[in-house]
This record gives sequence, structure tokens and C-alpha cells, in this order.
Amino acid sequence: MNLRLTTDRIVIFVVLIAFWQLCSLEFGQHWFSSPLKFVDKFVELGLNGEIVFHMTYTVKAAIFGFLVGGIPGALLPFVLRRLPVVNAILDPYFIAGYGVPKLALAPLFVLWFGIDLEPKVALVASIVSFLVFFSTMAGVQSVNAQFVSMARVAGANESHIARHIVWPGAIPYSFAGFRIAAPYSIGAAVVGELISSNRGLGYMIQAGATDFDTTTVFVSLGTLTMIVVLVNICVAHAERWLLRWRPRTGAGAAWVPGA
Amino acid sequence: MNAASPTLEVRSLAKRFPPRNGQAEAPWILADLDFSVATDEFLTMVGPSGAGKTTLLNIIAQVDAASGGEITFRGEAMNPVSGTLKPGWGCQIGYVTQDDNLLPWRTLIDNVTFPLRVQGRLDDAAMERVTTLMRTVNLVGFERYYPHELSGGMRKRASLIRTLAYDPPIILMDEPFGAVDAQTRTALQQDLLRLWNLGRKTIIFVTHDIGEAIALGDRCLVLSRSPAKVVAEHRITIKRPRDLSNVYKLEGFGDLYELVRKELL
Repeated sequence: MNLRLTTDRIVIFVVLIAFWQLCSLEFGQHWFSSPLKFVDKFVELGLNGEIVFHMTYTVKAAIFGFLVGGIPGALLPFVLRRLPVVNAILDPYFIAGYGVPKLALAPLFVLWFGIDLEPKVALVASIVSFLVFFSTMAGVQSVNAQFVSMARVAGANESHIARHIVWPGAIPYSFAGFRIAAPYSIGAAVVGELISSNRGLGYMIQAGATDFDTTTVFVSLGTLTMIVVLVNICVAHAERWLLRWRPRTGAGAAWVPGA
Repeated sequence: MNAASPTLEVRSLAKRFPPRNGQAEAPWILADLDFSVATDEFLTMVGPSGAGKTTLLNIIAQVDAASGGEITFRGEAMNPVSGTLKPGWGCQIGYVTQDDNLLPWRTLIDNVTFPLRVQGRLDDAAMERVTTLMRTVNLVGFERYYPHELSGGMRKRASLIRTLAYDPPIILMDEPFGAVDAQTRTALQQDLLRLWNLGRKTIIFVTHDIGEAIALGDRCLVLSRSPAKVVAEHRITIKRPRDLSNVYKLEGFGDLYELVRKELL
């Protein structure tokens, strides 16, 4: 990274903090907290373990949901590739399922699964699965027919073709889905906690707002943002490693945030 | 050369694709095509662009079905019209396509050994054979490179030896050197002849380049415009080994070139 980029980014950071301070002076700390109070609270809750406690819960829900939704979402397209008729029959149902606003299902999940981790996992999974499914499906369908033909002539059977040609060709598409789904899974876990929970960062936001404690709300939001940024960096690095066969420069190069 | 027992025999082969919307009948791409290729013969076919050369090779490789005719391979009827297609005929028919079709997510060596791996034949002897081939076409040192890191000529060489590595008795080549510059092309042609001398095998090499067809082959068939038919046949007597850097000066080349050029008009 060059120096100019770094200094410009720092300048923007300072401007944003100044704007926050201005808001808090203009409208009152009651509504906007203040950067200083934020740091104080962050350190306090960080040291007494409260942030870690709530964060663990939220991240756990997000990870479980991501796996429960993402794994079938990524595998199903490979099964359906071999069953084109079934795929054609189910297609409108997949699209309808994708269209259902998942956040609106949250109360139903509470009804079905109670108020512990399960309803949050269900909510996250319901969002992640469709995102990953549709992007992986696009990858499976865009398989290079010439590669398949070459492989057949060379003696490959269907399982070789799936493993050596369809799967690696679909990975960039799956990752496009993962990249979108990763922050969504954190978001969905938080929404699940806003609706009913007694722990988690979503609960922390809810409790803070109920007590008119905007500082706690801001600390929770700040923590969430940091988690999402961290998750993005992890996904980007995993992608870069898995797709190391791709040219880095030119139109095909992937933009890697933070890497 | 044993002309009495050809490796591959094509009789009255015909092909047309299903008609498009509003089209009563699709045009014939191939019609009444007859030829045969003897064991260990290097047969070249030259024809104008769009003559149906790729279609012909696709049918022989069993990637595509024919609309009529028969193909016999090593005395066995291939049933190209009604039977279920068996691409590559059980790894006996190799096919080097126009595009190199190297898998971008595999390194050079993994691409070259791909057929051996899926056929379950990647043992020490096969690996040794691959190493020899890599050395013959000067790819040693690039084993761990991905295709996008290689030049066009290197990719062509890789796709060539990928097919040679599993040693099918017959290899089809569809303008494999079409998209490279003239100098690389001569080098690749020389590589191909060297490889062919290393272990002789039956080759059907299709091109629209008259010079290439004459320089490489034992025999050259001239195809007409679509629907493709064999309009002439020439036995090429230029003796081997041939130095392709001055093939144009070799005896008989010029006259044959002129003759084929007129037949293609």
C-alpha cells in the first residue's frame, strides 16, 4: 500500500470522528454519545469480558447458520446438474423461496425453536443457503463444455468431471456467494437477537437502547463492524488461496478487501 | 504402409444439424465422405474454412453423432449414427482440438497427466514417458506453472503431449497450430514431427493451411467446400526427416502446393 493512500485514509477517519464529535455537541451526548465516551465504554466492557461474552454468542450463531445453510447451498447445485428434469421442476420453487423475506420469518423461528441459539441459526441458514445456492448454480451451469468434452475423450467418467472440471470452475462463483453471505450471516444473527434474546450483540444493542444508553449501542455497533471487516478479510484470503491459479492482474483479477 | 487393413475407414459419412427455426431443411455439412487411414500413417486433410473439418473430427472422436454413413475402427463398426456415443472410443482415439483446453486451475504437469490420472494409469513408467515428452518439446522447468503463465506456443505443446502421453493408437488433430504466429508455428510443426518419429502412430491432421498439410503428411486429402467431399488425394513423397525451416525448397513441394491451391479454388 502506498503512503498517499494511507494518509488519505487517516484524514477521512479523522474527519468522520470530528463529525461524530460535532453531532454529539450539537444534539447532545444523550443521543449521539461521543468518541471519548465510546472509547471509555469500549475499554470497560472489553476488560470486564462483556463484549467477548456477547460477541461469542453472536459469532457462534452466525458460524453455525453459515455452515448449516452454506454447505447444502453449495452442494445441491452439483446434485441437480445430474438431474436436469428435477432441477427444471424445482426451479420456480427455488426462486419463490429466494423471494421470501427471511427476516420476516424470525418470529416463526422463535415459535418453532424457542429463544436460544437455534432460531438465530435457522434465520442465518435460511438467508445464507439461497445466496450460496444461486451463485454456485450459476457457476455449475457456466461449466466449459469444451473442457467436459476433452475430459470425456481422455477417459474421464462423470465423477472425474464433477471433481476436476465442474467443481473448480464453480468455486469462483461460490465465493461470490460466500462474500455476500458472510456479512449477512452476522447481520441475521443480530436481528435474531434483537427479536428475542438475553445475550449477544443484538441483545446488547436492544438493552442499551431501552436504557437510553447510546454509548453501549455504539460500542456494540463498532464491535459488529470490526467482526464483519475481519470476516471479509478471512473470506478474501481463503478465496485468494483457492483461486491462486487465476491471473492476478487485468480484468479477471479479484478485488481483495484488506489484503 | 499397409493399405489393405486400414486403422480407420470412413464410408459415405453425412452430417447435418437439426434445422433452425423457420428452416425447412438444414444444409448438409458432410455428404458422401469416403476415406481411410492406414496404420502409422500421417494423413493430412486440407479444406477451406467452414468446410466441416471440425465436424468430421468430432464425429470420428464420437463427440458428435453423424446423420448417415459408417466408420470402422480397427475392424470394429463404430455406429456413428444410431449408437450411444463413446467419446474417445475407450481412450483409443486421441483428439487435439483447436483450442488447447488446458484446465486453468491445474498446473502444466497436472494438465499433461490428466488423462493418465483419470484412466488410472499414472505409474512410474507413465511418468517417465511424460518426462521424456516434456523434454522433447522443451517444457522442462515449467511443470508447476499455471496455463495463464505460459505462452501460446507452450500451451499448444502441452495440449499436444497431453494426448501423446496416454498413447492412443490414433490421434485426431484439428488445426492445433491455428492461433500462433508463423515462427512458433514452424517450431511446433517440427516438434510434432519429432514426436511422431519418436513413436510412430496414426494421425489425422486437419488444416486450412496448404503448406502445413504438405509439409507434415504422408498423404494429403483435399476437401471441397461444404458439404465436404474428398476432391483429390496426393501421396507426399518428400523424404523424411524433413527440415521444416526450408520445406519450401524441398523437391516437389512447390508443384504440389500449386496443384492443391488450384484444387481448393
